[in-house]
Amino acid sequence: MKKSQIKGAKISLNKNLKETIVSILKKMFQNDCCDAILMPMQVPAKDSYAWVLIKDKKLIDDANPIAPVMPVQGAKALSNFSRKGESKLKILAVMKPCEIRAVVELSKLNQINLENITLISYDCPGALSIKNYREDPDKAEKKFTDMLKKPEFLDNYVKSVCKNCDNFSLLPVCDLHVGYYKSDKNNVFLIPNSKRGKQNLEKLNMKTPQDLSEWMQDIEEIRKKRVKNKQERFKQIKNMVEGFDSLRDTFTHCIGCHNCRSACPICYCRQCYFDSESAKTETDMMLLNAEKRGAITFPLDRIIFQVGRMSHMSLSCVSCGLCTDACPVSIPVADIFSYVAENTQKQFGYKSGNDKTEQIPLKTFQLQEVGGIKELVKDAEG
Amino acid sequence: MDQVLIVKNSAEKGLIEFLKFLLEKDRVSGVFTLIKTKKQDDYDYALITEPELLKDAFPLHPFLPVNAGKILSNFTDLKKPVVAVIKPCELRSFIELVKRTQGNLENFLLISFTCGGAFTFSDTVENKTDTLLSDYWTAVSNANDFKNIRSTCKACDNFIPMNADITVSLFGNKNIDSSCKMFLNSEKAKTMVKGFDTEILEDQLDKTQIEKISKRRTEYKEKLFNEIKIQDTGLDGLIDEFGKCIGCHACSRVCPICYCVLCDFESSTYDDSSSMLESELNRKGGVRLPTDTVLYQIGRLSHMSFSCIGCGQCTEVCPVNIPVSVIFRKIGEKVAKIFDYIPGKDVAEQIPVTIFKEEEFTTLGED
Repeated sequence: MKKSQIKGAKISLNKNLKETIVSILKKMFQNDCCDAILMPMQVPAKDSYAWVLIKDKKLIDDANPIAPVMPVQGAKALSNFSRKGESKLKILAVMKPCEIRAVVELSKLNQINLENITLISYDCPGALSIKNYREDPDKAEKKFTDMLKKPEFLDNYVKSVCKNCDNFSLLPVCDLHVGYYKSDKNNVFLIPNSKRGKQNLEKLNMKTPQDLSEWMQDIEEIRKKRVKNKQERFKQIKNMVEGFDSLRDTFTHCIGCHNCRSACPICYCRQCYFDSESAKTETDMMLLNAEKRGAITFPLDRIIFQVGRMSHMSLSCVSCGLCTDACPVSIPVADIFSYVAENTQKQFGYKSGNDKTEQIPLKTFQLQEVGGIKELVKDAEG
Repeated sequence: MDQVLIVKNSAEKGLIEFLKFLLEKDRVSGVFTLIKTKKQDDYDYALITEPELLKDAFPLHPFLPVNAGKILSNFTDLKKPVVAVIKPCELRSFIELVKRTQGNLENFLLISFTCGGAFTFSDTVENKTDTLLSDYWTAVSNANDFKNIRSTCKACDNFIPMNADITVSLFGNKNIDSSCKMFLNSEKAKTMVKGFDTEILEDQLDKTQIEKISKRRTEYKEKLFNEIKIQDTGLDGLIDEFGKCIGCHACSRVCPICYCVLCDFESSTYDDSSSMLESELNRKGGVRLPTDTVLYQIGRLSHMSFSCIGCGQCTEVCPVNIPVSVIFRKIGEKVAKIFDYIPGKDVAEQIPVTIFKEEEFTTLGED
C-alpha cells in the first residue's frame, strides 16, 4: 500500500490508550470478528505479565493490550497454540510490532498457521526490561503509563534494543494497526492494513476517512532519530564482536546455559543442535585439545554456540531483546545479534518479518547469490 | 584421627604445589580446576595438562560458573585419572550423577574443601568479586559467612565434603595464609601423595567448630524455608510464586541433577493438541500460553527434588528472580527424609524412586 493511501478510522480516546484498545477489542468480539483474543494479562501476583488466550469476554477487562514488559515473546505463545494440529479458531492477536514480525518468520518456518489469525499492532514505545519491571512493578507501571500519555517514543527507560528499534510502527504484515501521536492527545487511529483488516472494520461498521499524513510524518521523524541511535549503538557493538579476541572477551562470562536461545522466538527447534549428542565433545578429543594448548576451559564451544546460533537464526532475528533479558550474566546478546542480523539480512536483501510471502533466504536456492561475498572477504582481509 | 598433609604455603598455593606434583609425576592425565582468565572477575573451569599453566589456577576461588558435577559427568572412561578440585555441593551432585550412570568415579581424584560459600553471578558480572576476595578469605578463616556470598550458601549445612579423596581445611582455619592442610580420606589419595616431599601428621577437623557453623547455617536455612509459604496456600500459592515464570527452563539446564538431553517438559509429550486447548478454553474462558507453567515446576520437583544438593545455580540464572533453589531444597529435603535418603552421601545408596519396596507409603493420604 502506498503511504498516501493509508487512511484510518478516528476513535476518540476513552480514558487512556489501554482502555480505548480494550473497548475496540470488545466491539470486535461482539461483532463476530473472532472466537478468541490473544493478549497479555498481569499474573495474579501482579509482578509480571503472561499471554492469555481469551474466550470469555469478561476476562478482556483484566487484560492489558499494551503491556510495559515482554516476558515471553508473543510469537512463542501463538506457536505454542498451533504446535500440534491446526485449529479453526479465529484468533485476534494483539502484539508489539517485533512480536508480529516474529510471528511472520515462524509462519514461514511452518510453526504458525496464519490462516485464522488477525494480527493487531500498535505504535510501540518500547518495553521495559524484565529486570527493571520486577524491581518495582508499581513504579514501572506508572512510568509506562506516563510514557503513553506523552508518546515521545524516545524514552530512555526502555530496553536497549527498543531505543534503537526502527520497526516500532505500522508494518506491512499486520492486519490492523493502532496509531497515536503526541500532537493529537484526544484520538487514536485504527488503520486497516490488509484485506482481513478491512473486513474486520466493515463488520464494526467503521469508516476510514481519516487522512494520516501528519501521524506518518511524526512517526517518520521518530524513526530517523531511532535509526541514528541504532547506528551509534552499532558502532560500539562492532568493536565488541569483530575479531576472535573481542568476541571471546564479550562472551567471557557466558556459562553456556543457552537461555538466550530458549527465550528466542525464532529458535523454535525442540532440541537445539548445540544441546544435542552430536555437538558433544568426546573425552579423547577434550584431552587431545588440552594437551595441544596446555589447557581448555569450560563450557566448551561457547563461541561456536554463539556464532552457530547467529548463522542459524540471524536472518530472521527481529531484535525483540528477549535474549538479553534471559541472560544470567548480563551479556548484551540482543544488541549483538541485532547488529549481526542487520548485516546478514542486508547481504541477502531480506528483511525479517516484513513480507509474509517472501522466503527466508537459506530456504531458497539462487544461482547468483551472495554476489558481494568476495568484496566482503577482501574487506575483512584488508 | 586422620592423615593430614601439610604444605607450608597458603592453602591455595600449597594445593597448587600438590596439583603440579601430580601432573609432573604423570600420576594424573590433567588437572580440573578453576582458573582466572585475562579478564577481571572472570573465572572458568579448565582442564590443564601443562604444569606451567597452573600459575593461573584458582582452585579454591568462591565461584561456580557451572556446577562442576555437570562437567565431570562428560568424561567417559579415562586411562589415567584427572585430579579435580570442586566444591562440596558439586561433589555431591557428581555422586548423584554417578548413581544415574552419568559419570565414573574411577576417572577422578576428587579434592574438595570445607567451603565458605560462593559469590553470586551479579557480583561477578559487576566486577566486584576480585576486590572482595581478601575480605572473603578473612571471613572464611574466622569461620564467618561473608556478607556477599549467595544466600543458598549461607543456608548450606553441607559445607564439609562427602566422598572427597582429599579435603582441604579452609572454613575456620586460622592459618589459611600460611599453611595448607589436606586430609587424606581414601587409599587412592594416600597412594597419590607418595613421594610428595612434605610432612604427614595425624589430625582431625575441629568438631565443635563445625557444629557451631552447622547450627548457624541450619538456622538461616530454616529462615529461608519459612519465607516460602507455598505449603499453606495450595495451587494459588504456587501460581503466585511461579506466575512470573517465563518458561525458559534455565533452572533445569543449569541443574546438575537434570541431566536429560531433552527434558520431558520440552518433548512433544507436553504439546497439547489444539482441540484439547480449545476444550480447555471453552471450560475456563481463558488459557495461558505457553501452557504448563506450574506443571513444569511440579514435574521437575517430582523428578529431581530428592536429589537436590542445594547448589543454588537455578536461583542464580532465573531471569525473573524466583527463589527456585530455596523452594526445591525445602521440598527436596522433605521428600528425601521420607525415603531416609541423603543426596550425594553414598554412591552405593540407590535413588529412592528407582527401587521397589513392597511395603512403602502404607499410610499415604491418611494424615
